[in-house]
Amino acid sequence: MPDRAPSRGLRVTGLAVSRGGRAILRGVDFAVEHRSTLAMIGASGSGKTTLLRALAGLGDVAEGGIEVDRRRVDRLPAHRRGIVYLNQEPLLFPHLDVRDNVAFGLRLRRWDAARIAAVVDPLIAALGLQGLDARDPATLSGGERQRVAFGRALAVEPAVLLLDEPFASLDPATRLSMQTLFRQVAGSRGITAIFVTHDLKECLRVGDRFAAIRDGACRLYADRAAFCADPANGVADEVAFWEAAATPPRRD
Amino acid sequence: MRAERARPLRRSATLALTAAFLAPVALLLVWSFAGRWPWPAPLPSRWRASAWIDLAGTGGLGAAALRSLGIATTVAFAATGLGFVTCRSAAEARSRDVLRLLLHLPFALSPVVLGVGLEYSFLRAGLAGRTAGVVLAQGMLAYAYALILLSGLWNARTRAYLEGAATLGAAPRQGWVLVLLPIARPLLVLCFVQTFLISWFDYALVLLIGGGRVVTLTTSLYQFLLSGDLRLAAASALLLLLPPLVALAAHRHLRPTAFAADPGF
Repeated sequence: MPDRAPSRGLRVTGLAVSRGGRAILRGVDFAVEHRSTLAMIGASGSGKTTLLRALAGLGDVAEGGIEVDRRRVDRLPAHRRGIVYLNQEPLLFPHLDVRDNVAFGLRLRRWDAARIAAVVDPLIAALGLQGLDARDPATLSGGERQRVAFGRALAVEPAVLLLDEPFASLDPATRLSMQTLFRQVAGSRGITAIFVTHDLKECLRVGDRFAAIRDGACRLYADRAAFCADPANGVADEVAFWEAAATPPRRD
Repeated sequence: MRAERARPLRRSATLALTAAFLAPVALLLVWSFAGRWPWPAPLPSRWRASAWIDLAGTGGLGAAALRSLGIATTVAFAATGLGFVTCRSAAEARSRDVLRLLLHLPFALSPVVLGVGLEYSFLRAGLAGRTAGVVLAQGMLAYAYALILLSGLWNARTRAYLEGAATLGAAPRQGWVLVLLPIARPLLVLCFVQTFLISWFDYALVLLIGGGRVVTLTTSLYQFLLSGDLRLAAASALLLLLPPLVALAAHRHLRPTAFAADPGF
């Protein structure tokens, strides 16, 4: 069971997903407080993506309860959950320019142009996409595409944002800048998010709280120190590696 | 240096190919206006526009052309529309390997064989000798081609687009209308053109199912050739060439999509 039940945010109880008779996730319980980011680490095949897809209402049928801001959403279709799923690959709609991609979710709500502009313009500025508004997504770099996808997700002000290794395909420098941008925007806009990654450093940079997923089971840590203290997460190994790497070799 | 040397060669090859394509078309054009063309004169001694006048009229060649246009448009719309809504099931079917094999049968099964196979059933059903029968028979062939062409739509990427749209708030219908259809448009246009041309150029099914009572441009062309009326045969042939020429001219406006290179099943 979650260690505390937030009044707002995401609450998951007893979530289980099986595929072809095989359990992919079992008894997953956790909560994400409103306006905070839960960074979740896990190796490939541990069930990270399955968990996010189950929360978003995509793919395999899940058992268990999912509450968003105290509203049960686990029986709702994906488009009515208020949970936006951001894929590893920023799948921008190729028939829309950058601005229309960001405005996509707002157009679905039949907002008028002025109302859309009031949301989209500041977002484009906050994400450093000025001047790219009219660009075809195919002409953007990987980092720019990911920023547009991020903007498209933020524009609809999701109750929960799920990020599935969103920066995994970026080069290290762009990845670092995207992590910083995510922290800034998530903080200023009060985003409730689950950020899944297999990169320990990324996990520690983006998270407010931490969890690890292994073999279909999820472990939520009380705080950063508890997460770092768990040898299974490899923080001590990482520190030892960098200490050894920084030490000049002894010449006998 | 090598590229510069290759340029005149490429230009000559392009010119030769263009000439090889245009020469028969020019010959057909001359024939269609020929009044009297005694052997071995290089050009007709008299010119007449009667073939084209006949074409402009409602009877004869004009009616056949209009019927061909109507049949091909109906077949293309039906095959593309039906193919679009059913290609997902075909791509996601459990036995899709067997299905794929069956769908590729039209490549092995010529329209003549299909026509012979369908003739008896169509006779019994009262469809033989009727335009509706020809549309149905051609539609069966065109539908299989449409499914093959459109099967590339249903891949992991398309599903991810639709899922992404859904989590942004798009209901399934909105996902189809606002995401899938615009993304699929080039492929749908390509499918429409291909199935249109399958019907437009079909001779065997019109002959076997239409039984001589359904007259189209292809059967007219053959009749004109048999009767020795080369002016009308040439005019028919030029008309037959018109849709593919239009499609070729419009081809550059069809933007390629990821689907074309990624067959879904």
